[in-house]
Amino acid sequence: MFTALTGHKALFRSKKPHYGKLFTPTVVISMAVLLFIVVGCVFAPLFATHDPNVQDVIGSSLALPSAQHWLGADNTGRDIFSRLLYGGRTILMGAMGVVAFSALVGIPLGLVAGYYGGRIDGVIMRICDVILSFPSLLLAFIFVAGTQSRGIGNAIIALGIVYVPMLTRLVRSLTMVEKNKIYVSACVSLGYSDLRIMYRHILPNCISTVLVQLTLDVAYAILDLAALSFLGLGIQPPQADWGNMLNDGRAFLLRNPYISLAPGGAIVLTVVSINILSDGLHQYLDPAQTELPTFKKYERRANREAKREARKAKAKGGVSL
Amino acid sequence: MTDEGEKAYNFLILCSVMQNIALSDKGDATEAVTGIWHVFLDPEKTRGVLVTKFLLKRILQMIPVLLAVSVLIFAMIRITPTDPIASITRGKHVGEETKQMLRQEFHLDKSPVEQYVIWITDALQGDLGESYIHRQSVNSLIGERIGVTVGLVALAGAIALLIAIPIGVISAVKRNTIVDKILSVLSLIFVASPVFLTAILLMLIFSLHLNLFPSMGTGSLRHMFLPALALALNMVALTSRITRTTMIEQLGSDYIRTATAKGIPRWRVVLTYALKNALIPVITVTSVQIGSMLVGAVLVETVFAMGGLGGLLITAIKASDYPLVQGITLLLVFIFMCINLVVDVLYAVLDPRIRLK
Repeated sequence: MFTALTGHKALFRSKKPHYGKLFTPTVVISMAVLLFIVVGCVFAPLFATHDPNVQDVIGSSLALPSAQHWLGADNTGRDIFSRLLYGGRTILMGAMGVVAFSALVGIPLGLVAGYYGGRIDGVIMRICDVILSFPSLLLAFIFVAGTQSRGIGNAIIALGIVYVPMLTRLVRSLTMVEKNKIYVSACVSLGYSDLRIMYRHILPNCISTVLVQLTLDVAYAILDLAALSFLGLGIQPPQADWGNMLNDGRAFLLRNPYISLAPGGAIVLTVVSINILSDGLHQYLDPAQTELPTFKKYERRANREAKREARKAKAKGGVSL
Repeated sequence: MTDEGEKAYNFLILCSVMQNIALSDKGDATEAVTGIWHVFLDPEKTRGVLVTKFLLKRILQMIPVLLAVSVLIFAMIRITPTDPIASITRGKHVGEETKQMLRQEFHLDKSPVEQYVIWITDALQGDLGESYIHRQSVNSLIGERIGVTVGLVALAGAIALLIAIPIGVISAVKRNTIVDKILSVLSLIFVASPVFLTAILLMLIFSLHLNLFPSMGTGSLRHMFLPALALALNMVALTSRITRTTMIEQLGSDYIRTATAKGIPRWRVVLTYALKNALIPVITVTSVQIGSMLVGAVLVETVFAMGGLGGLLITAIKASDYPLVQGITLLLVFIFMCINLVVDVLYAVLDPRIRLK
């Protein structure tokens, strides 16, 4: 009884607060993985062992992993490892593009809708409703169908349009909360312009939540871009990208599964890391969301602390409680 | 790792719920809920009448959105002005006279606005026009293939719920044990795995290596099983986490303690008391999931070479077959809206707090 109590005391005396930290072990690991992937992809020309588009049908068609081709080669003898790096570059840049597009359109729309309300808000929200009544990627499909030419640019805009309404709604709801706060009235009474109030005062107060959503969107954008390319509606061959590589490998699953599995693994690894990172960011920015460890964990830790205290006391020669 | 994963899920769930609110055709959640309240609170009328009235109101609200959607589809598919005559003749050289005839047949000699009006009036009467490349009515093309897609989505949804809810319950009851942690890591992976990758992996393992299921085609339940499983796993990951979260919340509430104190067996407390209440948010999120499954089905059908709507849509997009793309898209949006409608009604029927009090 008493030992447990001393344990709890010791626990709360010695431990730093364990919430509101950004660099928890999982976040650090996911950041390291992401950094590894991003550096590898951005500096693809430095790390790639082969030219990603050079074919070698006779020499290494469907080669299995070896010293020469680290992850094997596809049916036309292109090196998968090199294509993976170049493909990652395409898809990561594409995903950033999608998020940038949706942020550039969605944030101003949300700010205006939330700040002014009334008819402008109504119009913007109805447009969002219409876009949101398309199940996930369907709207992107018909945009790509309409533009006739395929390529990364169109894929980015298509997905950007799909991502805008969610962001607009988020920014709008945050703005509606912020605009009733006293600092906004203060700004108005100082005679600041609406634009200045929205961008310099309201937006910085919402940006943390928006930032979390944007990082999460990067993960979704990678999945969706890969899906578009997989269907042949996104990035066009011969330019490598994880989605069309997956599709290329489908016909040769038994002879060399790595053609499909390597880009697939890359997608999963990247998306999992971004999800964890985004969640870590979310908890860092909003510590109230953090779940504390269970009582059992506390108890165990407290007992450990209690034993340590007791040992210390014994070593000193004193009598413990 | 697992705790982090779980929190990521909670956040994802929040996003899904937000999206669902966004999708309910109404401005915001409170509005949607009060709409339901008004219908169910009116004490003078019987419930059946009220549900019909609520349904009618929602259906009426669907019409303007559906019209706007049709305009958007029609305009977006024609963003780049092209002469669709090339896709009608499939690139063959034909005489000017034949071209004129074809233009007349497909109303291409009229202005875009007129074309839209013709298309939408026909569509409202149930005729989606004629396909450019197949030279066959869009209705019959869709009719031949819709069974596969709807069957796939329905089977996938059923599999998903059958797996996800028990998993969710188990991980809530065995909270923070090794079982729970393994399950949460698995779902973290499955949610990050694109549906076509899951499909390819399942195909590689179960049909190419183990030879248990056919790797392509349609026709029997055996053909359907792997594609449906691939489609389901993504949903399992999300739904099981939501079930877990709501179950934990329910298991911690007072009525569970009372029930336990009365000596009701643990399994009954969990399965009949807590689960019933935990299922309501699950249903809400399921509707959004089914929307992404409709598009996921397109991808899975491609992997397993199934003759469903997906393949039809993708070839139509690549060949600029406007009537076919428009028809399929409009149909999918319509199905999606209907699912949302059903879910809204279910939600109101299942949650007694909304209709009683």
